[in-house]
Amino acid sequence: MAVDEPELARVVVDGVSKRYPGTNGPVRALADVSFTVDPGEFICVVGPSGSGKTTLFRIIAGLEEATEGTVSLDGEPIEGPDADLGIVFQEYHLFPWRTVAGNVGFGPEKRGVPADERDRRVGDLLDLVGLDGFADSYPRDLSGGMKQRVALARALALDPTLLLMDEPFGALDAQTKAMLQDELLDIWSETGKTILFVTHDVEEAVRLADRVVVMGIEPGHVREVVDVDLDRPRTRSDEAFGRYYERILDLIEA
Amino acid sequence: MAIDVGEDVGRATEDEETSVPFVGWDLRRARRGAVGIGAFVALWWLASLVQPAYVLPAPPAVAAAFYAEAVSGAITSALASSVLHWIPGAVVGTGLGILAGIVLGWSRLADDVSAPVVRTLRPVPPLALIGFAIAWFGINHVGAAFIIAVGAFWINFYATYGGVEGVSEDLLDVARSLDVRSDRELVRSVVIPAASPEILTGVRTGIGRCWMLVVASEIFGVPGIGREILRASNNLQVDVVITYILVLSVMFLLVDTAFRAVQRRVLAWR
Repeated sequence: MAVDEPELARVVVDGVSKRYPGTNGPVRALADVSFTVDPGEFICVVGPSGSGKTTLFRIIAGLEEATEGTVSLDGEPIEGPDADLGIVFQEYHLFPWRTVAGNVGFGPEKRGVPADERDRRVGDLLDLVGLDGFADSYPRDLSGGMKQRVALARALALDPTLLLMDEPFGALDAQTKAMLQDELLDIWSETGKTILFVTHDVEEAVRLADRVVVMGIEPGHVREVVDVDLDRPRTRSDEAFGRYYERILDLIEA
Repeated sequence: MAIDVGEDVGRATEDEETSVPFVGWDLRRARRGAVGIGAFVALWWLASLVQPAYVLPAPPAVAAAFYAEAVSGAITSALASSVLHWIPGAVVGTGLGILAGIVLGWSRLADDVSAPVVRTLRPVPPLALIGFAIAWFGINHVGAAFIIAVGAFWINFYATYGGVEGVSEDLLDVARSLDVRSDRELVRSVVIPAASPEILTGVRTGIGRCWMLVVASEIFGVPGIGREILRASNNLQVDVVITYILVLSVMFLLVDTAFRAVQRRVLAWR
């Protein structure tokens, strides 16, 4: 298959706080956020706007520094962007001057992977995300769903142990979103990656996650971590699904 | 694993059908352009009927002057001379401008250090530097190339600087998360390609500006098209002036069209 032997990652978020300088004194974005992600687990972070979930995402991704506290990956503190962390943003952020294959092959190319091995890897990944046949297209010719598939393949290209996704399906229509959620679950079970997935969509969180980290606002903090004990595939019409949905929604609105 | 992307694909190809066929559009544009040229020449001709030849010569008089200059070899030698400082001036000015734009656009430190000097030098017109050109390089191709290079430098510097400053921080984050560590590599693999539309627009504007500066740079006696224009002006030979203006325009048009083709190719991803 497309990826090497699963190498599982444990993430420990320990007492993370974040303050930004503001005009009326510092603004607290996050206060004492702690939780762990077990190896191979699918975690969703859900919360209303203002709950600091994107800030938390950026800190875990090494794109921003925490004011207090630490995030570690397999015992090593995360101190900057790292090839062990695959990142997928809502707005795709593909390199528009590179073809689909060029985008997916970016990481391996910069790491100096030989061309033939790189091509093989890119081919496998495009296959994995269902984009074989689009290797030579440019991002401008792709729909949102296809762009996000490219971004996902690109993030997987260096075989990271942890996949970090910030509202990756937030800009997609309902149908494409549902399709990509299923595909992501397939990819997750095939590759065994640990996934941390940020969303504001409670239904999405219940569909996808093993556990849901529910965030509250002012400042952003963890209200509760909910175990979603449901078999997959999960359906919205299922009664138990509804109970989880209501419970998380209550937590957010409380 | 089979994944159905049929629905997505349909949406992605829709654009192509709504765009106008390229050839038809081009023909229509060419036809309109021809009408414009015709109208311009007609107006010129009409105006020349009520003016003496030293104010505005009629188109046939200019054609005759053009022919005479061409067969005597004057156009070719003037052009050859101008190209000898146009090319090095444009190449050096463009290259240094892009380089400085990248360095100052990327490095906050370099930008802070150089900002006062840059802002002081920026408003100096290249023509004001003619004294330096003569003192440093003499009345020759190098001096003229210097004037041209200064003009090209600023256009390319600002275009590149703006492009580099505008590069999305998110794209850089993506690259960093894919193992790109050094500034050098970030600039090479993200900043330059991301800023290439702005950089190439700068190069193209600069090329045009350099042709204008050819005239200015020959003001102090270096031979070339500009020199011919100045000489003919002094002799009130307006038909010859127009002849060399036409040569300048045709050269600009050729180079600009060629560069636009390159630009289209390089930026085919847009």
